[in-house]
Amino acid sequence: MSPLHFSFYSAFTFSGLGLAFHRTHLISALLCLESMMLSMFIPLSIWPVENQTPSFTLVPILMLAFSACEAGTGLAMLVASARTHGSDHLHNLNLLQC
Amino acid sequence: MTYFVIFLGVCFMLGVLAVASNPSPYYGVVGLVVASVMGCGWLVSLGVSFVSLALFLVYLGGMLVVFVYSVSLAADPYPEAWGDWRVVGYGLGFILVVFVGAVLGGFVDFWKAGVVTVDGGGVSFVRLDFSGVAVFYSWGVGLFLVAGWGLLLVLFVVLELVRGLSRGAIRAV
Repeated sequence: MSPLHFSFYSAFTFSGLGLAFHRTHLISALLCLESMMLSMFIPLSIWPVENQTPSFTLVPILMLAFSACEAGTGLAMLVASARTHGSDHLHNLNLLQC
Repeated sequence: MTYFVIFLGVCFMLGVLAVASNPSPYYGVVGLVVASVMGCGWLVSLGVSFVSLALFLVYLGGMLVVFVYSVSLAADPYPEAWGDWRVVGYGLGFILVVFVGAVLGGFVDFWKAGVVTVDGGGVSFVRLDFSGVAVFYSWGVGLFLVAGWGLLLVLFVVLELVRGLSRGAIRAV
């Protein structure tokens, strides 16, 4: 694997691990989701360059549009949890805890 | 130039590592900004400067600004810093997992160092990324309308999530 391919492969893995091991804040998990989107955008943009298919360039733009939708929804849930529980600490989200 | 591009790739990885092992969301946002700047520089080095500019405008100028003021709403008034031993432990643990997995999985082969680029299409001197994104508006107009509809729909989704009152599980109070 070339080192550049390895760098965005490992960037995706890092942010996936960061999402799995989220600690205190909900917004840390949302930031890891954003970095997963970024580390998917970069290889999607490199694909049309490497394979010389220009029409594939619309896929990263489309992905950016839907990633903005997802970021907005995640932040709306953050604001809702901050209004309900007073903070976005993950141990407050325990409605399903027995 | 090759080493500069590899340096951009390494800094991209370090920025994302900073997001994953952040002591506090303030430092996570800084890591995300660094990672997106390095990623944009890398795309510019390949010649696709239009998608790099689109990433700068939409991602850094739009989404990260919204993230930054949400972080100021939600994060601690007295955050931890990078020197805390738990943060260093998380960062080293992530590095260990990814690199050991890559070495064991046979993914790492550092002889090859770059990607090829293209700056024209045969006899027509049109930039690759400009003509590619223009497809979005001509042949891909259905996807364009779907994306616009989705973005409009998300505005109402956000309104309903935040309003709540006694409807919905998030605002149960």
